[in-house]
Amino acid sequence: MAYLVGRIASSVVLAFAVATIVFLALHLVPGDPAELLLSTGGISPDPAAVAELRERLGLDRPLHVQYLGFLTGLLRGDLGRSLVDDYSVAAEIALRLPRTLELIAAGTIIALAVGVPAGTYAAVHAGGAFDRIMSGVMALLMAVPVFVLGTLLILLLAQTLKLMPAGGFVPFWRDPGQHLLLLSLPALVIGKGLVAIVFRMTRASVLDILPRDHVRTARAKGLAEGRVLRAHVVRNAFGPVLTVLGLHMGSLLGGTVLVEYVFNWPGLSTPLIRAVEGRDYPMVVGIVLTVSGLFLLINLVVDLLYAALDPRVRAG
Amino acid sequence: MRRLHARLALPALLILSLVVIALAVPFLGLPNPVRQDIPNRLTGMAPGAPLGRDEFGRDVFSRLLWGARTSLFVAFTATTIAALAGTLLGMLGGWFRGVAEFLSVRIADVILCFPPILLALLVVTIMGPGVATLILMLSVLYTPGFVRVAYGEVLSTRNQDFVTAMTALGATTPRILALTVLPNIASPLLVQYSLTLGAAIVVESGLSFLGLGVVPPTPSWGLMIRGARATMEQAPLLLLWPCLALTVTILAFNLLCDALRDAFDPKSAASVGTRPRPRLVDRFAPGLFPTRADSGAILSVRGLTVEIGTRRGVIRPVDDVSFTVGAGETLAIVGESGSGKSVTVTSLMGLLPAAARPVAGEAVFEGHDLLRRSPDQLRALRGARLAMIPQDPMSSLNPVHKVGDQVVEAILAHRSIARPAARAEALALFRRVGIADPERRLDAWPHEMSGGMRQRVMIAMAIANRPALLIADEPTTALDVTMQAQILDLLADLRRETGSALIFITHSLGVVAEIADTVMVMYAGQVVEQGPVASVFAAPFHPYTAALLAAVPQDDAAPEPIPGAVPPPHRFPQGCRFAPRCGHAQPPCGEAQPLRHFGNGREVRCARAGDLRLGRAAHDA
Repeated sequence: MAYLVGRIASSVVLAFAVATIVFLALHLVPGDPAELLLSTGGISPDPAAVAELRERLGLDRPLHVQYLGFLTGLLRGDLGRSLVDDYSVAAEIALRLPRTLELIAAGTIIALAVGVPAGTYAAVHAGGAFDRIMSGVMALLMAVPVFVLGTLLILLLAQTLKLMPAGGFVPFWRDPGQHLLLLSLPALVIGKGLVAIVFRMTRASVLDILPRDHVRTARAKGLAEGRVLRAHVVRNAFGPVLTVLGLHMGSLLGGTVLVEYVFNWPGLSTPLIRAVEGRDYPMVVGIVLTVSGLFLLINLVVDLLYAALDPRVRAG
Repeated sequence: MRRLHARLALPALLILSLVVIALAVPFLGLPNPVRQDIPNRLTGMAPGAPLGRDEFGRDVFSRLLWGARTSLFVAFTATTIAALAGTLLGMLGGWFRGVAEFLSVRIADVILCFPPILLALLVVTIMGPGVATLILMLSVLYTPGFVRVAYGEVLSTRNQDFVTAMTALGATTPRILALTVLPNIASPLLVQYSLTLGAAIVVESGLSFLGLGVVPPTPSWGLMIRGARATMEQAPLLLLWPCLALTVTILAFNLLCDALRDAFDPKSAASVGTRPRPRLVDRFAPGLFPTRADSGAILSVRGLTVEIGTRRGVIRPVDDVSFTVGAGETLAIVGESGSGKSVTVTSLMGLLPAAARPVAGEAVFEGHDLLRRSPDQLRALRGARLAMIPQDPMSSLNPVHKVGDQVVEAILAHRSIARPAARAEALALFRRVGIADPERRLDAWPHEMSGGMRQRVMIAMAIANRPALLIADEPTTALDVTMQAQILDLLADLRRETGSALIFITHSLGVVAEIADTVMVMYAGQVVEQGPVASVFAAPFHPYTAALLAAVPQDDAAPEPIPGAVPPPHRFPQGCRFAPRCGHAQPPCGEAQPLRHFGNGREVRCARAGDLRLGRAAHDA
């Protein structure tokens, strides 16, 4: 219980620090956001317009007042309004976040479903043909960037073989089959790096567990080999795999931006890229904070899962 | 080491050629990579344009090489800045602690909470796209990685003796950091450096692909992919070249990083490297050998030989070992570490590591040869008719399952009874092996129990299915003295009660006298003497047995340690294996000795067995 409370508290502190860094990055960098926003093609904007915008954004107030306002807004779930189209940032995120989450969940499930069995098999038959081939395949998967793999898959499967659409989105309730078909490619691509990481970690972890005494005990009991592997090897090896999974969620979350763009998946990526291009600060800040918060949350969940898996962690 | 050089060679060569191309590209006389030629847009391969022209008629080959220059320039510059800044901050934080630590390490931790591309996009929003933004943003992104590496290494280095010594000698802090700490952290930093280069190229190309990185028309692989994507129907090849260049480059950096990591950290190399090949199972001919009708013997081992394939060649840790165990009898196997006791019993259980296998002999247990049973047949015996109590109860229980469940699992592996019934049996077993508060202990985790308690759990597990033969491999070695006595008493009780036979491996001859009917003395993989305990202890025939007995502390004589140690299996002597350490060795001992029978169940492997008088009786006379 003390562990639980401590771990949650540290996540809250980190979330607060992340928000602070974002705030500082926006406000301490030289150059006035309002001026930058209004200037086009090197022409200085109208001072009156700049002053009006500064007031609307609250930039004319003292820094600490702005900071407090920013934090209380965050706590109330108020992320401000888009400078470009005046939409509520929170509403836009609420609409699109589930789609991004779906992509992430699907990618993670694919990574675990492929990486854990393959890594275990490779470890049990270490040095064998499967192990060598998979090590090569995984190195290649690690190396190919998500947008390259996504683009090439579209070229091959959609453009050349005409097997599936090049991308897009259909709500699940309207056409479940089409929804899953459209989900499959981006999910595969987003999961590819994670597959390699899960495979490597599972393999190393299983190799580490296999020679342990308790595995010999399990065999000495006369358990079937499959049960020995499941209950006494993979079960023990899973903790480190989970931890690495959590750590690499960061690149996975970043990768969704590119994958959604490549496959026209209407998640957070589209408004984010548009906002970066248009210097729509509230929208960028809102999305960056949401995804970073998600990253913190995933790592919190991973650590708590780890504690559930390994009773020794709970004990302290 | 040679394998490592081979692994480093390919990625190093690739990266070197990329760097050379990037540096030389302005002098290669290539067409201007940004000059547009709209009439010739999307034309295929042609003289002067070996890879064709892109959507603006620009030369693709030239853009590809110039793109390498852009990518590598951004990656190397940003990574170098991050490495310098991060190492400095991490070292200062690790050395001075306090405020410096807070400012460097804690802020680095917070930056690591951002998904990399998201933080990058935030920076682009503030500063606008461009090469300068890329370099700044990638430096910020990757500084924390170096801070962490440098900080961790400094913390572990600063307390080492030579650093303390320099501080005591009055060296200044910058000097100590530069001279002692930096060389020590160089290798992990190098690994981090190569890792970061690859990662930086990924982020740079990704952002350029989104149109938020390198600004057109500057040639960049990410931008080329972005452009070719729009025209992939007409010119799919245009997509392929930059994709290939990018992937190969990142692969080269990743491979370099892996090879460096393995070179500097042998532990991780071991986990990646190959284990000995699994054996080709040669046990698929069960029941071909007639089983001996040894009346009364529950286990009869003849000529058991185990070989292990190692890097130095094949070794034989167990060589021609024969013994029998009668029903309800206790056999003690004694000998120093390395004499082959554990390998002998492990091979009977079919639990040898993959590299080891029994190559000769037979081990008839209840009418079946254990060495020639299929893995499934052996599995059915293990834990049912044939059970084992391990040496180290601390590591022999799975830490992630409750102890009760692990006992229940042993019961359910061999009997199809309901789970609650198995749990009730486990409870009775806990009670039987003397675990206090058994109801509650069933739901305890292994780490909540003492060593003695855990060994009781292991014993409960071993007797769960009423085995005919129990094998205890030094079951008390890992326990403290009072626990040892309790566990031995428990084993003796159980044996009386259940009538199961017991093979007991031990270093302690005192225990042997107490518990065993017969004793087998092993040395360097061979049986050197065996017979009834009382007879062997009263008058040992083999000098090694006599030496083991003399090494036991007794109140009337000081213990005499045996000089030297058991030779490793690849250096077993040609003749009598004990001869080099034997005070009675004579010329005939240079030849291999057979095991000779001496009546009354006594067998000895010694050239001088007839003419020596050994043992404490001889000393006293």
